[in-house]
Amino acid sequence: MIDTIVLTQLLNGFILGLIYGLMAIGLTMIWSVTDLPDFSQGGIYIISAYVAYWTITLLNVPYFLAIPIGALAGILLSVAFERIVYDRLRPSGVLSCLLAAIALFFLLENAANALWTPKAKIMSVPETEVSINLFGIVTSYHRIIIFIISVLLFIFVHLFIKYTKIGMAMRAVAEDREIAALMGIDTSKVYIATWALGGALTSVAAILISPLYAVWPGMGTLPLLKALVVVILGGFGSIIGALIGGLILGLIETFGAIYVSAAYQHGFAFILLLLTLSLRPKGLFGRR
Amino acid sequence: MSEKKRLGKKSIAIVIIAVIVIVIGSVLGWYFMMAPAAPRVIKIGYSAPFTGPAAEFGTNGWRGISIALEEINAKGVYIKGEKYTVEVIRYDDRCEPTEGAAAVKKLILEDKVIAILGSHCSSVCMAIAPLCDENRIPGITIECAADAVTSPGHEYYFRMRPSMGLMAPLITPVIIDKLKPSKIGFLAINDDYGRSFVESFKKNFEGYGVSTVVEEYFERGATDFYPYLTAIKAAKPDIVFYVGVTPEGALILKQAKELGLIPEVKFIGSEEMGEYELVSLAGKEAVAGTYAISLWAPKPEIRELASKVKEKFNAPMHYAIVFGYDALHVLVKAIEMAQSLDPAKIKDALKKLEYEGLQGHIKFESFEYGGKLFVNQGRWTPYLIRWTEVGEKELIGP
Amino acid sequence: MAGHNKNNIYLKKSLFYPRAIRFLPIIITIVILIMLPLYASSYIVFVAAIALLYAMVAAGYDVLLGYTGQLSFCQGAFYGIGAYLSAILTVNYGWSFWQAMPISVLFVGLVSAIIGYPALRLRGAYFAVTTFFLAHFVYLIFLNEVSLTGGPLGFRGIRPPEPIGPLSFESMANGYLLILFSFIIIYALLRKFVNSNVGLILKSIEQDDILAESMGINTAAYKLLSFVISAIVAGYAGTMFAHFFRLLHPTTFSWFLSEMVVIITLVGGVGTLIGPVLGAGIVTFILEFLRFAPEIRYVGWAIALIAILMFEPKGLMGLIKRIGVR
Repeated sequence: MIDTIVLTQLLNGFILGLIYGLMAIGLTMIWSVTDLPDFSQGGIYIISAYVAYWTITLLNVPYFLAIPIGALAGILLSVAFERIVYDRLRPSGVLSCLLAAIALFFLLENAANALWTPKAKIMSVPETEVSINLFGIVTSYHRIIIFIISVLLFIFVHLFIKYTKIGMAMRAVAEDREIAALMGIDTSKVYIATWALGGALTSVAAILISPLYAVWPGMGTLPLLKALVVVILGGFGSIIGALIGGLILGLIETFGAIYVSAAYQHGFAFILLLLTLSLRPKGLFGRR
Repeated sequence: MSEKKRLGKKSIAIVIIAVIVIVIGSVLGWYFMMAPAAPRVIKIGYSAPFTGPAAEFGTNGWRGISIALEEINAKGVYIKGEKYTVEVIRYDDRCEPTEGAAAVKKLILEDKVIAILGSHCSSVCMAIAPLCDENRIPGITIECAADAVTSPGHEYYFRMRPSMGLMAPLITPVIIDKLKPSKIGFLAINDDYGRSFVESFKKNFEGYGVSTVVEEYFERGATDFYPYLTAIKAAKPDIVFYVGVTPEGALILKQAKELGLIPEVKFIGSEEMGEYELVSLAGKEAVAGTYAISLWAPKPEIRELASKVKEKFNAPMHYAIVFGYDALHVLVKAIEMAQSLDPAKIKDALKKLEYEGLQGHIKFESFEYGGKLFVNQGRWTPYLIRWTEVGEKELIGP
Repeated sequence: MAGHNKNNIYLKKSLFYPRAIRFLPIIITIVILIMLPLYASSYIVFVAAIALLYAMVAAGYDVLLGYTGQLSFCQGAFYGIGAYLSAILTVNYGWSFWQAMPISVLFVGLVSAIIGYPALRLRGAYFAVTTFFLAHFVYLIFLNEVSLTGGPLGFRGIRPPEPIGPLSFESMANGYLLILFSFIIIYALLRKFVNSNVGLILKSIEQDDILAESMGINTAAYKLLSFVISAIVAGYAGTMFAHFFRLLHPTTFSWFLSEMVVIITLVGGVGTLIGPVLGAGIVTFILEFLRFAPEIRYVGWAIALIAILMFEPKGLMGLIKRIGVR
């Protein structure tokens, strides 16, 4: 008879992993298509959560409507950054873009600080906070919602990449930019689409997890880093990899926090990173 | 390098203008700040975190100070028959010691303040206190909790509220009397404040034969307390002290309820959890029936201040506001007692004064406790409160 | 023929006065900095000392970023290790600063070598992410190992470096001067290194490391070398900080520090060595200047930063080059 505590943590770790996976998918796509590990997604994570928070508290919009609104904010910001900043800096090299992404993350974090004060806000969604008893595990509706929405999104992204024109164009550009351009693919349109998708995924991840955790300006740094670890663990450019890698990290973190050390909770991602890089640098499903 | 075009004349002009503007701006700024105070203005400095994770403390402290400032300047400060007004200059220290040191140095050496208020984080206070002594400018900390700030202490640095090491002995008997625990547990934030809290309460309860069965620490900004609460549940304490800021507290209470810990286990919150913000964040049901150590009791004067704060800033009441308010009043009282703007005389006045603050009876004493020497330290007893079903504070003791 | 004459005269002039003119601004700046304690308040001296420490770390960092092309975020970690180790050795074990400092620096070098050896085999962003995590991990150690570092309760009671003969480092002014002189020496050494043959090899690695590898250069060894050098400089700056500020707290060594170093290097101009030094001065100046607006200080700075980078991605040095120093 497995301890209910273990089961609860299993569920929590799984859900956490789904969130990491969502963000990692966005990142891995952006990275493989545009060659830029987009650190500014950390800032977009923060801002979209706040936008959702605002719409819920100020405009009394229901949570499920706040999700697409926040996602829209994330999309707009990501695309704006691409058009205004990254596009301009691209001729100067990847390093410049990377540094710009970091600067933008910094900017968004400080903007959140100034606009909403550094004090954490709680995104309260009474409808989903209902406790339910699932096979003896006490959990809330909300985690089920996260599960459902995440899985739907994964399926959507998978189908999108596989069957739509833009999706296939993204894959082509990820494979080889020059050849894709020669074949007539408009790379700038592909970039915009990629960024829009990445921004959307990051935003949804942020908004989904916000009611469980708090919304505060520093909320983006650790998720960004962990999503990057998941990208590396899962394999560069692999969506399945991002999903599985996310689950692995979520579970390791949750169980590690209980059985090993809660203080070094965030260090597990680091150890996972080191293990991946030394044992299997390509990641689980990586191609490059 | 040669691929980049040479800057057009327009760009060069823009750059040169920008540089000139910056240079002139800073020279002017410097000049104005270095200018001696307009006659009959008392300049006081305030260093606090206005950005970063501790920013709410600075913001609230400033709210208290500005309300006190208004009251004080409405009446004016009279020194030897002359009427003075007070000006408070504030800088951000991000809750980081080197920033605090730079801010205080600037306040003392450039802005020429005659006293310092601040800061809120113990790490910064530890950096500021020696500077006060060095420059012989009195300083009152707003709320630093760690003992080390006034122990072994500094001649020119004062603290109104009882430090962590002093709170525990003052309130432990109250808790034991009213709640009668046999085993206790802690869930605390992993910083100077959290660690000092646990250390001192643990020791004091031991003195009464109550043992600590579980002790967990979380990082600032942590939001997932399930692992810690699970460990606590397994250890089965009668009382759990939860130490942090209200968003964390709210999450802790909610998650503890989800795990079935509340109301079986009595949760006693640290000072922050005695604030209304906890109720607004967690909701009345989650908070009702839980306890907290509070730095102010629901007295009528506090309600008065609270309504002013609501009116002016549309913000809930918070102890940092109370402390900021009291601190400025205490300082001005000392100035009036000394009847002088000489910082050394003000410091002497502070050592002698007694003031009925909104927080409690304020008196700076030097004494020994627990093998440590405290200097310029206040010693009023904090309050144990319980949250009612309607989200109000009920005074349990003393 | 007239044109030919003009060129001739120009040539003659440059033959006589090249070196002096070039060094003049540097000499003037150094003199101003040395005399700082005489005419400026201890507030300015303090801020200048901190800025010089940043400049030191940034210059060392530029060797890694600008000359070898490796982006890393763990300068804060090495700075912190140097600071805490020197503090622990002098306070807990009674060592003299002059013994503790070299040992701390060596230790930092060792740690960076051990970490760098496997890590540097990673390319670009993978390496960057690893260093990000490393910095956070080291920060967690500073925070949690309370018995060693004092953790959140801080590490107090650090003494200034022991006097050399009659020269004591107790005062702010002398502490500052010690930092200033160390900085000048370190910068000169870095300059020499970067201009040497080894420096050229590093530059070639930055340009195209695959090509360099194919030409027989052991790129891994050189990358490790620049990583260790930047770490050692940061570690040394850390020891200086510990004995100058005399209070250590984990918050000082958070991500913020590493971010600052990167931004300073960017703003000043990557790969120029003097750029990051200027960057340290500019960034410190802007932040102190904005002190009167506590809430928007960092936002204003972040916006200024983005604006600067978009106007001139190569930072201040890029701007200077563009204005046309012939």
